[in-house]
Amino acid sequence: MHLGDLIPVAVAGRLDAARFGRVWEISQRGARAPETEGSRPAQSSRHGALTLRRYERPASQVSFDFVAEWNRAIVSRVAPGGQVSWCYRAPDHFECADPPAQSVKAELLEIDTSPHLALATSLASHATTVIEFDRVPLGRELAVGAGLHNVWLRKAGKGTVSLRVLVQGRELGRIQAGNLTGWTLRKFDTSALAGQSESVRFEITVDDPNSRYFGFAAEARS
Amino acid sequence: MADVGQAKRRGKGPRWIVPLALALASSGWLLAVEGRQGLARDEAQYFRAGERYWGWFEALGEAVAARKPGRAFSRAVVDSFWGDNHEHPPLMKTLYGLSWRLFHRCDCVGPKQGLHPIAVHGKHRTLPLFSRESTAFRFPAILLAGLGVALVYGFARRFIGPWAAAGAAVLSVAQPHYFFHAQISCFDVPIAVMALLVAWAYWKSLRSPRWGILCGVFYGFALATKHNAWLIPCFLVVHYLWMRRGDFLRLRPPRVPLAFVSMASLGPILLFALWPWLWHAPVARTREWLQRHTQHEHYNFEYLGQNWNLPPPPTQTGRWLLRATFPFVSTAFTVPVTTLALAAAGAVVLARRRRKDAPADEPDLINPEPPEPGARASWLRPGADVDLAPGMFLAVQILGPLATLAFPSTPIFGGVKHFLTAMPFLAMVAGVGLAWVTRQATSLVRPLRLRRALPAALATLLCLPAVAETQRSHPDGVGHYNLLAGGFAGGASLGMNRQFWGYSVLPLLPWIKAHRPPSNRVYWHDVLHDAVMMYVRDGRLPVGIGDLGVGEPLVAQSDLGIVILEKHFAVYEYLHWEAYQTTRPAQVYAHEGVPFVVAYQRGAPPPPQEPLPP
Repeated sequence: MHLGDLIPVAVAGRLDAARFGRVWEISQRGARAPETEGSRPAQSSRHGALTLRRYERPASQVSFDFVAEWNRAIVSRVAPGGQVSWCYRAPDHFECADPPAQSVKAELLEIDTSPHLALATSLASHATTVIEFDRVPLGRELAVGAGLHNVWLRKAGKGTVSLRVLVQGRELGRIQAGNLTGWTLRKFDTSALAGQSESVRFEITVDDPNSRYFGFAAEARS
Repeated sequence: MADVGQAKRRGKGPRWIVPLALALASSGWLLAVEGRQGLARDEAQYFRAGERYWGWFEALGEAVAARKPGRAFSRAVVDSFWGDNHEHPPLMKTLYGLSWRLFHRCDCVGPKQGLHPIAVHGKHRTLPLFSRESTAFRFPAILLAGLGVALVYGFARRFIGPWAAAGAAVLSVAQPHYFFHAQISCFDVPIAVMALLVAWAYWKSLRSPRWGILCGVFYGFALATKHNAWLIPCFLVVHYLWMRRGDFLRLRPPRVPLAFVSMASLGPILLFALWPWLWHAPVARTREWLQRHTQHEHYNFEYLGQNWNLPPPPTQTGRWLLRATFPFVSTAFTVPVTTLALAAAGAVVLARRRRKDAPADEPDLINPEPPEPGARASWLRPGADVDLAPGMFLAVQILGPLATLAFPSTPIFGGVKHFLTAMPFLAMVAGVGLAWVTRQATSLVRPLRLRRALPAALATLLCLPAVAETQRSHPDGVGHYNLLAGGFAGGASLGMNRQFWGYSVLPLLPWIKAHRPPSNRVYWHDVLHDAVMMYVRDGRLPVGIGDLGVGEPLVAQSDLGIVILEKHFAVYEYLHWEAYQTTRPAQVYAHEGVPFVVAYQRGAPPPPQEPLPP
């Protein structure tokens, strides 16, 4: 019962394992962790039914963790006509007027029945939720993971959430999240901007907000 | 062949001794181990409903004593008792309530008096057979499971010898999933037994009008047990049309047999008579009952690593096909391998069965009811002039329930329990396989004594793995997977459903009791209030133990919480991590290394650090 019990919540809900240079894998019955797929272990030993493996690899340097730095964000809702309404920052979340609930919050979510510490976003119909970070120190890539929270909401709702990722106003790409998309991880190339501090903007829209609770996490890395 | 020879001596000595012994042994086995089986979520609701239904009989008694019996039949009084859990018919719940009233050891006054769903006015006078109230509730289900075993023996004896039939009977209950459901106060094994009873009556009605009438009576009981009964006639019709296919070739459609007439008439009448909730609005409430189950929502269920809670659209061909494999793969992974192998052999025997054995040949099956020479079929004896086609009969009874669950639009949340009605028939086919194995083995042995001992020895030997596997799976039979899947751990690795109904908390109750937080704020997750209350009434939890109720926001208010480990319940584990700011469980219940329940405790001290060896 003590296996893994020393893992902090933030590590359990990690975006991925890129920031870790050393990975310990405890497995049984030939199972492998997705994080070690394709890697060769530096050390491996058997302990009864369990196999312990150690992997060594170059760790990504995270220059900006968007979830950890959630309170540096500027959050707004943009109506189809371009009218902007600003969301205000409470001690542990952002609150927007429509819907009048915790609109953006760093939270441990269940996405694809796995834990993900993410910026949880309740969505508004006919409006774009914008989460913008100014002067983000960029590295070679921007990793973004996204998906829909809560198994019952994924059953009840039908809408597809679209996350648009922009740096310096230029679109890097989009991630679509639906009931069956799970946790989608994409890595956008920012090597041309490595070492610079730029604004990073996330625009979230949904075609049907009913029973949609969207979460995303992002890291700027080198 | 010794087995056949013994079978031909049928009728010498009382025929009921062996089935009675099998029934008693099975019920005894179930009673001996049910105390280790936690209370299932739905079961606890049936306890409550059963006790309420008993309350109506008390009200009836009071009304009769007051010389106003009509009062108990008023809509208000009927609904106040029988309205509880009216999505399921009442026969078994009524028996559970009656058994509780008769056989519990009354601890009903004092601090537990208020825990009952009906008013308790004083100490009950009972025959206190059971120390736990839950056992008294479960007793009818356990007896009925024993009856099912006896029925398998009796039915199988029409085809095979006594040892192979006894083997079939044992294999019918020695299935971990079936065994799990056989000891609890639910409806899945009771309806399997009822389906077997109806099928047997139908089978006998093919040559006997008396059984045609009985078939309708039994069908009424089946209807009053569970809605699976709706499907029973469909499977029987398929067999009947196959058996009488010659009529179509002669362009003379077969007559509607008495059994079907009886089922169509007596069945609904009995259902109505047994279900007071229908009495005041039979049409509207029957419609409500039908709609409840034909439009049942899809709960969450794990199958091959995916969580299924909606029917896959046909446009998603891969998911659609994968979902369609569910009942067949689940059967292959949950029924003991020896039973599957014997059933495969039996299926071959049945498929190759010759209708007219040459006199010199040993028959593959004992068939005491060949077509009667010169007999003419009538609606009273519709199988008099034809072969009864036992192979098709058994195939339809097995494949029918599985095929129903193969439709992607059919909810699968109950897993194997939804097609348990197939299992007694599968065991009968395994019995046919056992008879074949016995015959092959006997032909290789010359000493007469050994030949005579072989049927018993082989039946024992080939039933032992299934019995051992079933005993080993207890109390988590619903999470058991067989040798093909790799046991409990193999099933977990394959992403097969581990459990449902929150029954598995039982082994953790002593720990929860010992670590009850001073705030008394306990989050019980999928162990519903009715189950917690019954644990209290059984003396397994203290009176006054906290129960915060159901719902995600309540986790944050708790100081001790449990999570029943099902794939779709992952969110509850993360809610505990966030609320308690730790991922470390305080206690885990696991079976053969597969965790079933984890408990979290707010502010629990970290475990002692054990220095690693250099």
